[in-house]
Amino acid sequence: MLMRLLFDLQFGDRIVTLLAALVLVLQIAMVAQGWIVAHIRIFAAQSFFLSMIAATIAWYNHAPHIYIAAVLTLVVKVILVPILFERLVVRMEIQREIEPIVNVPLSVLISGGLTLVGYVVAESFYRPGAAGLGHNALAVAISLFLIGFFTMINRRKALAQVLALLSLENGLFLAAISLTYGMPLIVELGVLFDVLVAAMVLGILVYRIRETVESMDVSRLRRLRG
Amino acid sequence: MLLIVLLLISAATAAASFFARRRTVMEAANLVGFAGVFAVAVFLVAQVLAHGTVSLGNGFFYADSLSALVILLTASVALVCSTYSIGYLRDDERSGALGDDLSDAEQIAQLRMYYTLTPLFVFFMMFLSMANNLGVMWAAIEATTLASIFLVNFYGRVTSLEAAWKYAIIGGVGLSMALFGTIIAYYAGHSLAGSDAISGLNWSVLAQHAAQLDKTSMRLAFILILLGYGTKAGLAPMHTWKPDAYSQAPIPSTAILSSAMLNCALYGLIRFYILAGRCLGVEYPSHLLLLFGLLSMGVSVPFVLAQKNYRRLLAYSSIEHSGIMVTALGLGGPLGTLGLMLHMTYHTIAKSLLFLCAGNVQQHYRTDMFGEIKGGVMRVMPLTGVVFLMAMLAVVGMPPFSLFQSEFLILRAAFDGGHVLTGVLFILFGTGIFAGMLIHIGGMILGPRGDTAAVERRPWRNGSLLALAAALVVIAFWIPAPLFQLISGAAQVVRGQ
Repeated sequence: MLMRLLFDLQFGDRIVTLLAALVLVLQIAMVAQGWIVAHIRIFAAQSFFLSMIAATIAWYNHAPHIYIAAVLTLVVKVILVPILFERLVVRMEIQREIEPIVNVPLSVLISGGLTLVGYVVAESFYRPGAAGLGHNALAVAISLFLIGFFTMINRRKALAQVLALLSLENGLFLAAISLTYGMPLIVELGVLFDVLVAAMVLGILVYRIRETVESMDVSRLRRLRG
Repeated sequence: MLLIVLLLISAATAAASFFARRRTVMEAANLVGFAGVFAVAVFLVAQVLAHGTVSLGNGFFYADSLSALVILLTASVALVCSTYSIGYLRDDERSGALGDDLSDAEQIAQLRMYYTLTPLFVFFMMFLSMANNLGVMWAAIEATTLASIFLVNFYGRVTSLEAAWKYAIIGGVGLSMALFGTIIAYYAGHSLAGSDAISGLNWSVLAQHAAQLDKTSMRLAFILILLGYGTKAGLAPMHTWKPDAYSQAPIPSTAILSSAMLNCALYGLIRFYILAGRCLGVEYPSHLLLLFGLLSMGVSVPFVLAQKNYRRLLAYSSIEHSGIMVTALGLGGPLGTLGLMLHMTYHTIAKSLLFLCAGNVQQHYRTDMFGEIKGGVMRVMPLTGVVFLMAMLAVVGMPPFSLFQSEFLILRAAFDGGHVLTGVLFILFGTGIFAGMLIHIGGMILGPRGDTAAVERRPWRNGSLLALAAALVVIAFWIPAPLFQLISGAAQVVRGQ
């Protein structure tokens, strides 16, 4: 029984859909979250499910190179980046530093609307027989991208903006594995390397902003005009 | 082989500066390294002219005339700026502009950051111009942003933090759109045989089979790429990081950002334009490019006219020129593409020269506002004043300077191709910029007030200024035949021949 499920493509599709739904729920939870440490952990959990999706797709499509992408995602986004940011938070002694511009209920509502948009856009890509797995995953990927955008605009604090940017990038990873079963490995490597370096560079910038302006509120940086 | 050597030299330069303890060692490493990069780039151009294309590692690296031109321009700017930066940073060190009461070790650390990140920045610009795989090209473009963030934040002031933050975040969002576009372009070619292999995202492969790519996906991919790499090139309305970054970074970095980096961003856009043009017909990408090109030109006009800060003025001029080049790409055809490639070459020389002149002025007067200088730069700094004025006239397209020729070609392409409205707007916006630049920079250089002449003893800075100025004057009347061959070869690549 179990053996049969392991090779049943439709069962694989259901697992991917389930995991994608979890990823989407976490994205909306991130929109609603006001506590920065929780924000970081939600991001780690989201990345974990993402690498699970990659592993599932790798298994059911017999595409071993996606395993490598899955493991790398696990190392970079689930372990390294969250550790880096949590250390930063400890060093800067901040806890509750999100303060969205639009209030939480309305933000969640807008995120719901953006999810609908994601589904409509994904529909135009659907070609029967093109990619068996991950039709729903593409819709989720586009939603993640759009919600990530919205969250970036909706945050005043530097670190929260960086986390939104990274979750937006999670959407792109999901889009790549659901559309084409992953980009060529060298590209995935390049992208993940950039994500890691970007997280470090932005982390340092956040720290310096905090030290200089004595706040992470980037809306206070408004000297350059015209 | 040459392609690898180019990358190795830039990487070795970065490493040498990183481990150096003394300032002179870092300066020498940068100077020698960039001279080497320039020499190899010239060899590469010779090879490309002889063989058409150069590729390496099973097509992982690939250079045609377009890549070779971009690499040559990057190498030239890097060499001139590395010479300039020696004098520039020594002056900063003397005047304490690096930061208040820094210890010697801190100052060296600051310099090490500059001399390490600059070759790294150049390394990634070289990498992206020769990467055949579009995904790898994306990763290299993103890496150029990451390498230059701390150059923008070099002085560590509140304003430079703000500029670096904007640069990082706007650039990050823009490039994520470009990554999405790249993924969708990969999907568009996914039905081709062998697309799972690493070469599936190779530009040379996709360009060969462009007609078979999925059209709906390609449309979306091109819009995303235009928004993404357009952000990096500073097209309106994604241009807002540009005046901030250009006014805060150290001058040599700004000169590289405003010329070489701009070329590289346009290079990425051009690669996708060729794919989209072959897949969908040129009509679709052309309309989008004309829209963004003219918008960028138009948006920069009021900001140039009402500008109070000369570095921001030059940044808006840079936005205008990236608009001009994108418009030329949109017009296409033999005239438009030749105009584009000539303009890219001329603009690289003129804009980097302008920023270097601005650096001399800023270090003498310790301000970047027109209002505090009041005028008379010509009397105080005769050499800088003359070159500044000349470069300014060149950049607004005054004859006999070469940008007049390229802009004239682009205008002819507009009217010949029946894009009358584009042509008219082009002239209108060009006139606005002309007026703004002339009033502000002309007033600053020629204006009435002027102290007594200071002795201009800036051998490193003025040497590089004069080298660029000589290039600008010579190229107005005579282009070396191989260079012209390279430029027209690049124009042919853009036309897809």
